[in-house]
Amino acid sequence: MDTFTLFIILLAIPLLTALAAFTCQLLGTPRAVLTAVHSVGSTLLLLVSLFAVWTVYQQGELLAGHNWLHLDGLSSLFLAILGVIGFITGIYSIGYMNHELEEGEVSLKSLGTYYGFFHLFLFTMLLVITSNNLILMWAAIEATTLSSAFLVGLYGQQSSLEAAWKYIIICTVGVAFGLYGTVLVYANAANVMPNPGDAIFWSEVLKHASLLDSSLMHLAFIFVLIGFGTKTGLFPMHAWLPDAHSEAPSPTSALLSAVLLNCALLVIIRYAILISAAIGPEFPQGLLLVFGLLSVAVAAFLILVQRDMKRLLAYSSVENMGLIAVALGIGGPLGIFAAMLHTLNHSLGKTLLFCGSGNVLLKYGTRDMNAVKGLLRVAPLSGALFAGGALALGGMPPFNLFLSEFMTVTAGIRAGHLWLVLLLLALLTIVLAGLVRMIVMSVLGKQPDNVSKGELGWQTTAPLAVLMVLMVLMGTHIPQPLQQLLKQATTIVLNGDQAGISELHALEQQLPGATNGAEKTALNTVLNTATNTASHSSAQEMSRE
Amino acid sequence: MTGTLLVNNLAGLMIVTSMMVIAARKPTVSAGLYALQSLVLVGIFLSLASLFDAHELYMWSISAFITKVVLVPLIMYRAFRKMADPKADGGVLSTAVLIMIAAIIVLISYFATKPVQLPMLTDLKPVLAVSLGHFLIGLLCIVSQRNILKQVFGYCLMENGAHLTLALLAYKAPELVEIGIATDSIFAVIIMALMARRIYRTMNTLDVQKLISLKG
Repeated sequence: MDTFTLFIILLAIPLLTALAAFTCQLLGTPRAVLTAVHSVGSTLLLLVSLFAVWTVYQQGELLAGHNWLHLDGLSSLFLAILGVIGFITGIYSIGYMNHELEEGEVSLKSLGTYYGFFHLFLFTMLLVITSNNLILMWAAIEATTLSSAFLVGLYGQQSSLEAAWKYIIICTVGVAFGLYGTVLVYANAANVMPNPGDAIFWSEVLKHASLLDSSLMHLAFIFVLIGFGTKTGLFPMHAWLPDAHSEAPSPTSALLSAVLLNCALLVIIRYAILISAAIGPEFPQGLLLVFGLLSVAVAAFLILVQRDMKRLLAYSSVENMGLIAVALGIGGPLGIFAAMLHTLNHSLGKTLLFCGSGNVLLKYGTRDMNAVKGLLRVAPLSGALFAGGALALGGMPPFNLFLSEFMTVTAGIRAGHLWLVLLLLALLTIVLAGLVRMIVMSVLGKQPDNVSKGELGWQTTAPLAVLMVLMVLMGTHIPQPLQQLLKQATTIVLNGDQAGISELHALEQQLPGATNGAEKTALNTVLNTATNTASHSSAQEMSRE
Repeated sequence: MTGTLLVNNLAGLMIVTSMMVIAARKPTVSAGLYALQSLVLVGIFLSLASLFDAHELYMWSISAFITKVVLVPLIMYRAFRKMADPKADGGVLSTAVLIMIAAIIVLISYFATKPVQLPMLTDLKPVLAVSLGHFLIGLLCIVSQRNILKQVFGYCLMENGAHLTLALLAYKAPELVEIGIATDSIFAVIIMALMARRIYRTMNTLDVQKLISLKG
């Protein structure tokens, strides 16, 4: 298949599914038809996304449509996340929304709206991931806000409308900062590049990055980080996030947290690569470190005091995005690899928990942890998966998030940020405490009298189980193709730093699931990494002395 | 040099009109004033077009006229006239304070853009400062107004500021870029207007200070 056709098919699937869902809504077709349209759309998107990722894995970077569309190792990681999470939340949506429909929380008309915007939202995020055109990238981010605002306000209650309004205002304003940053980069590039027509393409500007004006690029990165950082949920621009995540229907919350935040993060990473090539990595990394650490710190304390389960999870998203920013800020092959791995791991974990909180909401009718008790007795499977997911999110081994958090810490020590790492560990302990508190309050305890026992059906439990399997797999044995994908993504962020790339190859041997010594347990390998790292850094220090 | 003088003066007029958009009590009046401001922006595009001899900018003027002077104000006027909440009119700051803050913003923008080294800009530095300042004044509008409809204007002002910067620094951008940005802002205004109407119908208020049930 030629590359352009692949891009068109990829983009057309969610767009056509959205149109079909809106048409069904207008025609008033029965629920079964609507659900079928949605299922077919979600499944096709998964298959074609994975096919596109596989093509990049085989052939390397794809460029099409006169440079407008682009898929490389970095964006294919995000595409894989979009495909998988889009499918899982898609399946979960069927069970969840049917339940809401039967309960009378939403009408058949709203269900059409939901499925239509669900796929439109996926389309806009896909556009962010595949765009090589800087302005289109911005426009697509803006479009993600517009397409998801109605999903956030779906229930039409006072609180959900308020959340939707805050979401749309804060994010459009934030993203306007992103536009300003985009304009600065583009304008500067158009003035200095031999062919100004190419100045709009990320891949082309990167080739001429050394020509860019230093003071403008400093200014541009500040605007970009504030702008797209708003959508990523970094402190202090995160104010929309807990409201939008908690008021949206649970599958949408999962999609917001696990895919949307990543898309905005991808744009920040794209600019960080570009601007680092122009003015050196210190300034972008320093800013990422500061914003990241502040996000982790503020979110950690807010996680500890939440009563609303979904708000707690929303703050955990702020915390994890902060952690990824910290890992990027630490930089180097290990830091960037950790950031990439954590992006993937967080998406899996947070989808599990938001879908799990959806089951809680359907069972108990509330998100208040003072009222939600004894989930393990009420719905044992959901309860166990929810508790496991929460522990994973807190960074407990043998789950996947432990691995990427450990790598971040190792990268920090290696780069000589000892105090930062100690602070980070203290904050992560607070986060773990907050998550354990949630388990103790809601998963354990007595079953309330007014809640009936029993699971809700396979559509709302199977996605959780699949996610749990993926998380354990990612924590103990990262599949070889996925390792390659992560490595490719890291290589792109390193942007030709040869020393870093060879270090990355050395690192690969130590990952769980590496081809040599497959019998090693995850913990062993991680500990090996740790000891190796420690000896490396002490050797480095000795050589410095 | 008269060309640059004209552009610089028109840029000054942008700031004046944006203050008027913020200070107007009724959202429908603001919609009219916003159309006026967009007309000034189109004037700047035309002057820059003749100054740089850039035919792309003539195209921009046309599309900006259609979207910003006609379509967006019309959409806002039609949507906003059905909603009224006199209690939410006015801002948390007095007009005098707003003007003072705006002056400080323009001053800061002037110093922020001072180190920028681009050959074409030597005489047009004030416009660049104004465009950045204009963008920040839009933000000022959003944080200082109680009426949620006025927040939509804040976004539009920010967008005009960014658009002016784009015209100044990158007028050679393909027409598609400009259309893309304009279309996006039209959709943004439509979605915001729809959402505001749902809020108005459900809660019977447009006061941002009443939207405080979510906290912590």
